[in-house]
Amino acid sequence: MKKTVLVLIALMLFIAPLAAQGPKEEQGPIVLKYWTHEDPNRTRIEDRYIQEFQAANPNITIERTTQASTKMMELVQTAFAANSGPDIFNISIEDEYQYIVNGRVAPVNPQAAGYKDLKDLLDTYTDGILDPVTLDGNVYGLPLELTNWCIFINKKVFRSAGLDPEKDYPKTWEEMADLSEKLVIRDGDILIRRGFDFRYPYYLVAFLPMVEQLGGQLISDDGKTAIVNEQAWLKFLTFMQQWGPSGRNLGSPTYKNARNLFNKDNNDIAMATTGLYQIGRIRAENPAFYNSKEWMVVPFPVFKDAVQDVAASFYGHYLMVNAQSSKATQDAAWKFIGYMLSHAEEYLTEVSLIQPKKALFASDAYKNIPYSDVFTKDFDRGHIVYYGAASAEFQTLIRSAVESVILSGETPEKALATLKRDAQELLDEQL
Amino acid sequence: MKRKYIGIERKEARWGFAFTVPAILFFSLFSFYPILNALYTSMFDKRVLSLAAPKFMGFGNYSYIFTSPDFWNSIRATFVFTLGTFLPIVIFSLMLAVFMVNLKSNKVRGFFQIAYYTPAVISSVVAAAIWLIMFDPRGLGNQWLNALLRTPGVDRKWLADATMVQVSTMVVYFWKYIGYFVVLFITGLSAIPPAIYEAATIDGSSKWQAFWRITLPLLKPTVVLVSIMAMLQCLKTFSTQYLFVQGGAPRAPINVITLNIYTTGIRNQRIGRASAMSIVLFLIMLLFTWMQFRFSKSEEVEY
Repeated sequence: MKKTVLVLIALMLFIAPLAAQGPKEEQGPIVLKYWTHEDPNRTRIEDRYIQEFQAANPNITIERTTQASTKMMELVQTAFAANSGPDIFNISIEDEYQYIVNGRVAPVNPQAAGYKDLKDLLDTYTDGILDPVTLDGNVYGLPLELTNWCIFINKKVFRSAGLDPEKDYPKTWEEMADLSEKLVIRDGDILIRRGFDFRYPYYLVAFLPMVEQLGGQLISDDGKTAIVNEQAWLKFLTFMQQWGPSGRNLGSPTYKNARNLFNKDNNDIAMATTGLYQIGRIRAENPAFYNSKEWMVVPFPVFKDAVQDVAASFYGHYLMVNAQSSKATQDAAWKFIGYMLSHAEEYLTEVSLIQPKKALFASDAYKNIPYSDVFTKDFDRGHIVYYGAASAEFQTLIRSAVESVILSGETPEKALATLKRDAQELLDEQL
Repeated sequence: MKRKYIGIERKEARWGFAFTVPAILFFSLFSFYPILNALYTSMFDKRVLSLAAPKFMGFGNYSYIFTSPDFWNSIRATFVFTLGTFLPIVIFSLMLAVFMVNLKSNKVRGFFQIAYYTPAVISSVVAAAIWLIMFDPRGLGNQWLNALLRTPGVDRKWLADATMVQVSTMVVYFWKYIGYFVVLFITGLSAIPPAIYEAATIDGSSKWQAFWRITLPLLKPTVVLVSIMAMLQCLKTFSTQYLFVQGGAPRAPINVITLNIYTTGIRNQRIGRASAMSIVLFLIMLLFTWMQFRFSKSEEVEY
């Protein structure tokens, strides 16, 4: 009896690893599972692309599933861990990169995606934009969107505080704090209206560039040291400490997301940092506010004593294909992706998503989008978000440091010491 | 050849075993196998997305977590939450159960039972989401408390302050689970024969004396059951802390072991290390359950 139980246990332990599969070979009709994040405007046009594509390719059926963008990372990962990932998916590049280095995604088939060859594909996109998804000469993803963040301003709120938005908008982070002090409305300690507030979960996109403005780095150029230039990090953490409820009380991660509030135009936020896609969302959610032209976009600020002019990092959502899908499925997936992405102008005009194609940046459609010039200039000032095998862990560590100074009353010096220790340990593990 | 004698008890035991086979199979598949698999995985440097064979580390993951300040903080957060929630739950659910059993009107008793039990049937995620809205600086938490204490404009920092956020998670758990344990205590109280109380009353016992000399000793098996269940629930807490962190609360003060397992295994993809943490949590829960049984020496009560 005991022996039987032991044998059963041993079998169970080893069955799961054996269940890991390589690419499946498939015959007959193809069903493509496509997982992507929620965006009602994009759903509308992609549902149409699916119908058109299926009509032209009757042997291919596409099952499109949407989830909240915050949930996508873990859903896709859990599915891949169980070897049942979707055929097509997109998440942000700092999370996607691990799929490439772990061999979980298939290289682009240029011909299936509608290109003559790889060179033709590379020539279509702006220089360097496919670098984050290129490994050993293969390209593993095609950008659905490239996003950078600038500052959106509600002009009415500015004027209600006696400010001229065209002249008084913040150019430096110090001005951002001072302006927020003028714009804020409080009921005792409680903020009824905020001037500006950060997007707290995105520490690599918007916070790390602030450190870089001061001369700091997450990882040294030789890749051996984490948290470079402690003075820059200390200044950044001190600024954040002053921003929070224990400092000047201008904002906090515990208040509602500033970006979402901005669209409502309810006199509860004056400024938010977000991408060009926000324009499409304002138009969809609050057409009156969109048409009122009572909003404007200005560049990402820098610190007064910045040593370099760095805008918020841009990040991409790249469409990728599961390497465990059959070859026929992979080809069908690239064909469908190529078809969707061939509508770059419609993605821009209907959803305000930028596909970083040379032709799109040169098009009138792009130039006619309000404030597209501001975003273009900030693209030039920024760089791609930090991505690497441990980018998610680095983001968690920066988040802990910022939260500890804003919310937990820790000194910037102590938070920095913890960050430095943990980040170096993490980096050493990667080496 | 001598035929082996099989006694009647043994024959019955075989039938008993046959009837328990489905349960054994169920628990083997959904409880024992995951535990053994986690134990096996904890010996490897396994990454969620990697298809390569994971490197064997022996007890490397365990030595890492036991020298990690982050893990010790999780142990602290888990015990603070457990003590701060499980003790009040046991004490107040017993008090409320006694109060409700003594209510004369069945309608009033029914109303209280439903009122207390309703949160228990709401999913933990929904419960945490409701409280997240209430704990918003502009939410009902501040508004009600400030109106009650006549302190307008004070931000209690329900989610922002390191101490308050721990209290907030306890409040949510207490609110959600108290009704469930009240029902368990009511069941235990209903099993005590009224004749014992009648005899005590004739002997001149007060209600207070009856509670300490009759109710509590006879309720011991239920107290042990409720204590173990409440403690295990608290040690396993996850969804409240997870949603609060998603809602902007600082992670460190409420980074309970389960949340750390999630961050390590899912966010940071180190499933081997996360498995080691889950085995440690399992051992903690096993130890506390054993201790509670050992020290309470629960006797069967027959009337």
